[in-house]
Amino acid sequence: MTILSDKDRDAIVELLNIAFGRAAASLSELTGKRVILEVPQVTLCSIDQVGEVFSGLTADEVVTVQQIFTGPVAGDALLMLDVPGARHLCSLLTDSGVLPPHIGESEREVLTEVGNILLNACLGTFGNMLDISISFSVPWLRMEAVRGLLESLVIDNQELRYALVVSTDFSLKDGAVGGFLVLVLGVASLERLLAAVEAMK
Amino acid sequence: MARVLIVDDSALSRRLLRAIVEVDGHEVFEATDGLSALEQYYLQRPAVVFLDLIMAGMKGIEVLAKLRELDPQARVIVATADIQKSSVALAQEAGAAAYVTKPFDRDTVLATLREQLAEVAHPKESE
Repeated sequence: MTILSDKDRDAIVELLNIAFGRAAASLSELTGKRVILEVPQVTLCSIDQVGEVFSGLTADEVVTVQQIFTGPVAGDALLMLDVPGARHLCSLLTDSGVLPPHIGESEREVLTEVGNILLNACLGTFGNMLDISISFSVPWLRMEAVRGLLESLVIDNQELRYALVVSTDFSLKDGAVGGFLVLVLGVASLERLLAAVEAMK
Repeated sequence: MARVLIVDDSALSRRLLRAIVEVDGHEVFEATDGLSALEQYYLQRPAVVFLDLIMAGMKGIEVLAKLRELDPQARVIVATADIQKSSVALAQEAGAAAYVTKPFDRDTVLATLREQLAEVAHPKESE
């Protein structure tokens, strides 16, 4: 199992700070609101423990936009929002500005595109900084408890053993929308990531 | 006024882009996937196409290649959330005229569109 040194962890956190920062800037441009971003958290854990990590991030049912990415570094990227926050975000992005009573078809469509923009901003920055090319799947949205997400995680198309879970939580300045950006990488990608970070130094 | 085709599987992005493009009074057509994009291009013969890259079914880069096959003079502005330099290079190799990223900046989109329309009206000698 790869152990993250403090130096590696610091380099990854800095890289993700920049990548998540670009995603936050995109969200700010979309909503016209200032976005507050926390320092990314990096957790290396066995795949069995990923559920516990996620459960610690959010509770109950969440709206998740998920995108698989492939290339030298591959894994799953997730935007996770609680349901009230997702509804509020939709109201900021529609002409009427009315808070939708529930997440219907048009709200799902809006949130999927928001996820697409944020996840691409994050991973695209990541790819640019490491000078690697990443391909993206079409994003999809799901609403369910966090544990249900685990069944759909694809990590390197290999036996899932360990995962690097990196997350940051963000909120709009008025506090009405908060959520998490999460990347889950398998060990093979983690090693390639560390090699790319090393080459960047 | 020009005819502009917007190809994107997201209604949100089509709506936002349409609102920007209509500022200059252009006639906008929409397609939600690659196949309908090719059909709309054939029917409407737009001066400029805005094309998303990440779409279900036919990927944007394939649509770009098909459009250029259909019409080597097709002016395609890639309009995508993918901000990677490698994706910009890939799109350029496939014949994209320009590349704008989401979320759309009104001034950047309009400047890019005006530049492309100016080149349609006054093509460079090398083209």
